[in-house]
Amino acid sequence: MSNDLPDRSCWRILIVGTGGQGVLTVARLLCDCFVACGYDVISGQLHGMAQRGGSVQSSIIIGGAFSPVIATGGADIVIGLEPVETVRAMPFMSSRTLVYMNTCPVIPFTLAIESVLKTGTGEYPDIGQLQKNLSAITTGVIAFDATALAAQIGSEKAMNMVMLGCLFSSDVLPCSAETFLETMTNNTPKNRQKLSTAAFCAGQKIGEVCTIGNHRP
Amino acid sequence: MSERRPHELLQTGEGQRVCMLGNLAIVRGALEAGVQFFACYPGTPSSEIGDTFAQFAEDEGIFFEYSINEKIAVEISFAASLTGARSMCAMKHLGLSYAGDPVATMPYVGVEGGMVIVSAGEPSLLTSPNEQDHRHFNRFLYYPIFDPASPQDALRMTKYAFELSESTRLPVILRPTTRICHSSGMVELGTFPEQKNKLAFNKNPTRYVPIPGNARRMRKELTLRYQHAEKLLQSSAFFPRTGSGPKGIIAGGIAYAYAAQVIADLGLEDAVTLQKIGAYPIPESILLDFLASVESVLVVEELTPFIEEWISLTAFRSGRLLPILGKHTGYFPIEFEYTPDLVEDAVRRYLKLGERQQRTVAVPELPARPPVLCPGCSHRASFSLVNRVFGKRTVYSNDIGCYTLGYGEPLNTCDILLCMGSSISQASAISRTTKKRTVAFIGDSTFFHSGLPVLVNALQANDDITVIILDNHVTAMTGFQPSWVTDNETTNNKPLNVTAEDVDRPGRLIIENAVRGLGISDVTTVDPFCEAQALAALKHAKLGKGVNAIVFSSPCVVYERRVSSNRKRPAYVVSDELCNGCTLCVRSLGCPAIMVTDGKYVIDQALCDGCDLCAQICKHGAITAVEVEGACRS
Repeated sequence: MSNDLPDRSCWRILIVGTGGQGVLTVARLLCDCFVACGYDVISGQLHGMAQRGGSVQSSIIIGGAFSPVIATGGADIVIGLEPVETVRAMPFMSSRTLVYMNTCPVIPFTLAIESVLKTGTGEYPDIGQLQKNLSAITTGVIAFDATALAAQIGSEKAMNMVMLGCLFSSDVLPCSAETFLETMTNNTPKNRQKLSTAAFCAGQKIGEVCTIGNHRP
Repeated sequence: MSERRPHELLQTGEGQRVCMLGNLAIVRGALEAGVQFFACYPGTPSSEIGDTFAQFAEDEGIFFEYSINEKIAVEISFAASLTGARSMCAMKHLGLSYAGDPVATMPYVGVEGGMVIVSAGEPSLLTSPNEQDHRHFNRFLYYPIFDPASPQDALRMTKYAFELSESTRLPVILRPTTRICHSSGMVELGTFPEQKNKLAFNKNPTRYVPIPGNARRMRKELTLRYQHAEKLLQSSAFFPRTGSGPKGIIAGGIAYAYAAQVIADLGLEDAVTLQKIGAYPIPESILLDFLASVESVLVVEELTPFIEEWISLTAFRSGRLLPILGKHTGYFPIEFEYTPDLVEDAVRRYLKLGERQQRTVAVPELPARPPVLCPGCSHRASFSLVNRVFGKRTVYSNDIGCYTLGYGEPLNTCDILLCMGSSISQASAISRTTKKRTVAFIGDSTFFHSGLPVLVNALQANDDITVIILDNHVTAMTGFQPSWVTDNETTNNKPLNVTAEDVDRPGRLIIENAVRGLGISDVTTVDPFCEAQALAALKHAKLGKGVNAIVFSSPCVVYERRVSSNRKRPAYVVSDELCNGCTLCVRSLGCPAIMVTDGKYVIDQALCDGCDLCAQICKHGAITAVEVEGACRS
C-alpha cells in the first residue's frame, strides 16, 4: 500500500516548457522520486507532434488521484522552463499556486517568418511584462535565469536540474532533496551525474535566498 | 547484448506496484498473457507499444515485425493466431479503419490463440485528421472491446483480453485513448506464464475458409460466441460500482477517471452511485442492477453517445423509465476530449450544486509554437526546389508524414491531403479533370504503406503527374521506425540500436528500382541538397508526359544525428555587409535556425545543422560556411 500524504489528499505539479528542454525528464525524475518515497503517483503528458521546439506539458499528481489531467486553477506548483510557456499555463494557476519560472526565453521558430510575412507581431513578449501577468494571479512566483546559471556551471542543458534544485530548496513537498538526488543519480548516466548534481545544488542556493513570504500552496 | 540489464518490463516482481506509462502497461499485460507474435504499424499515440517490443522481442522468442501497413499487421497476427500463437497487433485508430476488410471477416473465421488488436484512439485530433469512436466495432462487427480508464486497467484488460479471445475464439479490440497511452500511473505487476501455446497449423478448410457456404454457418456461430463473451464479461472485474447515492453516474474510458476525481474532490460518495464501463458488450444484468439502484443517470463518455444509447435502450426494454442525461440532453458535447472542468460542470448541473468557482484569468496574447520542419531537414530542400521549378500555380498533392508540414507559409506545398497514400490518387484526379500536370509528394514509408497500388492506378490511366518520393530512409514522424528502405542488416528491426553506417548505406530496397519495375521509365534518384542535379531532374519532369517520378533521397537529419556520433558539418553565418535584407531565405525556406533580430538576419548556431541550403539560395552570397570549433551540433 502507499503512504498517505501529510495534511492533504494530493499535490498537483505542472511542468511546462518547449520540446528539447527536458520537461519529460523532470516529470520522470519527480515520478520516480515520489514513488520511492512510497506515494502513489500519476502523470500525464501532452506534446502533440514530437517536433523540437513545440510546447510540452506534463502533469504529476502525488497521492491517490484518478485524473492525470489537472483542472483549471488546480496546480499547486508550476515549474516553467520557459517564460511564454509558463504564462500559457496561467489558467491552471490560482492564488495558492507556487510558480518557479526560468526567465530565459526560447524564441519560437516562426517569429522570423511572422515578421517577414507580417502575419503576426514577430516579437517575443517582454519578460518583465510576463512576470507581471503571473504576479496578478499569485504572489508565489520565483523567477530567475536558470539557463544562464546552468551555462556557468557547465552546460545550458542542466537548466532543468537548476529548476528542480530551486523546487527542493524549501520544504513545500513531502520529500527531501537527498531522496531526490538519490533518485536522480540512479537514473542519470554516469558522465552527466556530476553536472546534474552541481546544477541542482546551484538551484537550491537560489531557492534559499528567494523570499516568497508566507506563500504556501 | 547479454550483458545488458533486462528490460524493466521483463522483470518479475509479482504484487509489486510501479509507476508505468499506459502504452508500456499494455506491453506488460501482453507479456503476462504469454504473447508470442506481435505486429504493428507505428502511429501516435500507439507507437511506444511496438517500439518497446522491438527492444526485446527477439531475445524473448516473440515473433515481431513492423508491418508495411496496418492491414498486413492485422492479417499476419490473425494468421499467426490460427497456428495457436497468442498474437497482438497495434496501430492508431486510423489504421484499424484502414484494415477494415480483414477486420470484418476475422470474427467469422475465429481465432485459435488469443488475439488482441490495439487501436489507439485520438479524441481532439491531436495528430490525426479525424476522430473515430472504435467502440462501434462492437455493434458493427461483434468485437469484444476493452476501454481502459488508467494504466492499471490497460495492463489487466490486455491480460484478460487474451483469455477472453481464446475462450470465445473472437478477436478482441483494446481501445486506449491518448490520455491512457501517454499517462503514467501505478500498476500492480503479475506473473509470467510458465508455458506458452504450442504452434502448429492444423488443416481444417471448413473452419478457416469463409466461402459463402461456410460463412453462413460461421455467422450463426458468431452470434453464439458473442453471447458467450457477454456472459464471461458479466463475471469480470471491469464493471465496478462505487458509492451509494440515488444519483447514478455511468462512465467509461478516461472520462471515468474525471468523473471519479470530481466525486472524490467534491465528497459526493454518499450522493452518487458510480458505475464503470470497462468493456463491451455491456452485460445486460450489470445495467439492470445499476438502473434498479438509482433514480436518474448521467452518462460520462467521450465522443459518440455509445453507453448512453445502450443504457437508454436497456432502460426502455426493461420498462425502467428514468431520466438518462448526457449528450442527447446537452450535458456534454459529442466532439473532442473531455476535460476535468467539463465533467465537473456537468456533475454540478446534474446534482444542482451551483456553479464552479471560476476566476477570469486574462492570458495575454502569446506567440504560438506550431510544428515546423527541423533545421537541416531534406524535405525543406525538396520543397524549395520544387517551388522554384513548378511555381505557385501547380497543384501540390501531399501525404501523411513529416512532409505534411509543407502546408502553409512559407513552403506552400500541400494543397490537398486526405490519408495515407492519397497523394498520388488525388493528383491523378486533379490532373485528369484540370488537364494540368500535378505534383504528388509521398514519403518512403507511406509509399510502401499504400502508395504502390495508387501509382499503378495512375500509370494505367496515363495521368500527367510527377510523383516525388521523399526518401529519408526511415519512418521519421513516429519515432524513427525502420521503413522498407532502412537497412535491415544493421537495424535488425530495432530503431534504437542502429549504427552510423546504416544511415549512409543503401537499404534493402532502392525505390527507383521499384518504380521502374512497375513500368515507369522516367524516374531518377537525386540528393535534394545537390542543387544543380536536382533542379535539372525537376525541369525534365515538368516537361514530361504521363507519369514520371523523382526520388529525393537524403537521410532524416535527426535520425542521422542520433546514430552518428562523429558527424560534423560547418557552421553558417550571415555577413552584415553582404546581406541587404531581401528576406528570400526566410520567405522561401522558413528554417527555424534563421532568426530576425532588430531587422538583422542571424543564424542561431545552436539550431543550425549546416545543411547549406540557405547559402545556396542567397543571391548576394551573404551566407557562408565557417569552421567554428563546436559551433554546430555534431
